[in-house]
Amino acid sequence: MGYYDIDDILADAAKFPCRFNYAVPGLGYLEGNVGEEIKKNAKVELPLWLARILAIVGGDEEADPDSEGALPFVELLAPEILSSRVMNAIKSSPVALDVHSINAHFYALAVKWATLFDDRELVRVLNYMLLERTREIHNHAASGTLGGAPSTFMLTLDEFEKKLYRDTHSGCKETRHWIVRK
Amino acid sequence: MSLPWNIQETFSPEEIQFIVENEPIKIFPRFTTRVSLRGDRAKPAHTRWKLVTADDHPLNNLVAIQTTEVALWMALLLKQQGKCSIVAPGWLRLSQLQKYIDYELKHAERFSELPWNWLVVAQLLFSKAADDLHDPVHLLRGKIQDLREIRLGKIGQGLKHLNESHLQLDNLSLLEINELRPFVLGVMNKLKQVHSSISEERGSEDYYE
Repeated sequence: MGYYDIDDILADAAKFPCRFNYAVPGLGYLEGNVGEEIKKNAKVELPLWLARILAIVGGDEEADPDSEGALPFVELLAPEILSSRVMNAIKSSPVALDVHSINAHFYALAVKWATLFDDRELVRVLNYMLLERTREIHNHAASGTLGGAPSTFMLTLDEFEKKLYRDTHSGCKETRHWIVRK
Repeated sequence: MSLPWNIQETFSPEEIQFIVENEPIKIFPRFTTRVSLRGDRAKPAHTRWKLVTADDHPLNNLVAIQTTEVALWMALLLKQQGKCSIVAPGWLRLSQLQKYIDYELKHAERFSELPWNWLVVAQLLFSKAADDLHDPVHLLRGKIQDLREIRLGKIGQGLKHLNESHLQLDNLSLLEINELRPFVLGVMNKLKQVHSSISEERGSEDYYE
């Protein structure tokens, strides 16, 4: 959230597929052709912080006076992590889903995507997923068998969920210790 | 700002204990601090106690074997020195606790109306004033443990009612709320983020149906 939030920075570095709406001279290195121009309709994977700006800022209107309003430089395409395959997996069983293997900053990215596209369906799915998964996290954190083998669920947490688990676990642990000590 | 998150945002159990220790509790003092009305000045001074307090009234008017209400921490301190016995609260007896347990088992969706500090008071009295309780302390401990476990299970159930704006779990005690706080705050903040990511105008009709 904050400027120095390392998870936010890392999430912004995730690559999203984009399609260029213009031929841009000198940007060929994005495709691996150093020194060449990037072609119109070329598909490139750009980090989200770059793609977001390019997808919002309009191109030069003079270069293309016939079009109605300027197209942005790139068009963001739906990424793999938010594909319908993943959405269906969430809807069918949020707890069984391996979020960490999809993306370590899944929630942060999904929220950014929903902000960009005002995606209500995604928000609904996220809400459901968050509730189901966090309840499972609470179960694990509250029952808290220390030193036991981590269950497979614990290996599927994304960064937000890990932090939540850590906070919940330390709170429950302190209370448990206090009760035992008394 | 440099303190760890869990110290900034929540209480530690020790801080909860500190807060609860300020609650009044009844004691039987074993000594007198009240000045005798008959003005019996002939007696030697050592029979009269004077305690240093900010609020003079209850502590310097103790009469032996006459119940008085003092703060829990003071009661525990006097108890430790063998200068009073504590009157255990009415709910801290086997029959009453069993009633609470029955209630908890019968109503899966509700919590029984235990005092807001039940867990802390029970634990403090168990460890510092075990001989003043109505029933054997190991039995009481068992009941308290049962209650706590039943309620923990229910809290886990109740979390499915969590949403981005509020969570209502009535009759939860301070320590239980405090234990739950890091989790609930984390989830609710994230839910808020998720919900504020879409624009408000149409959102209201969709989500409060």
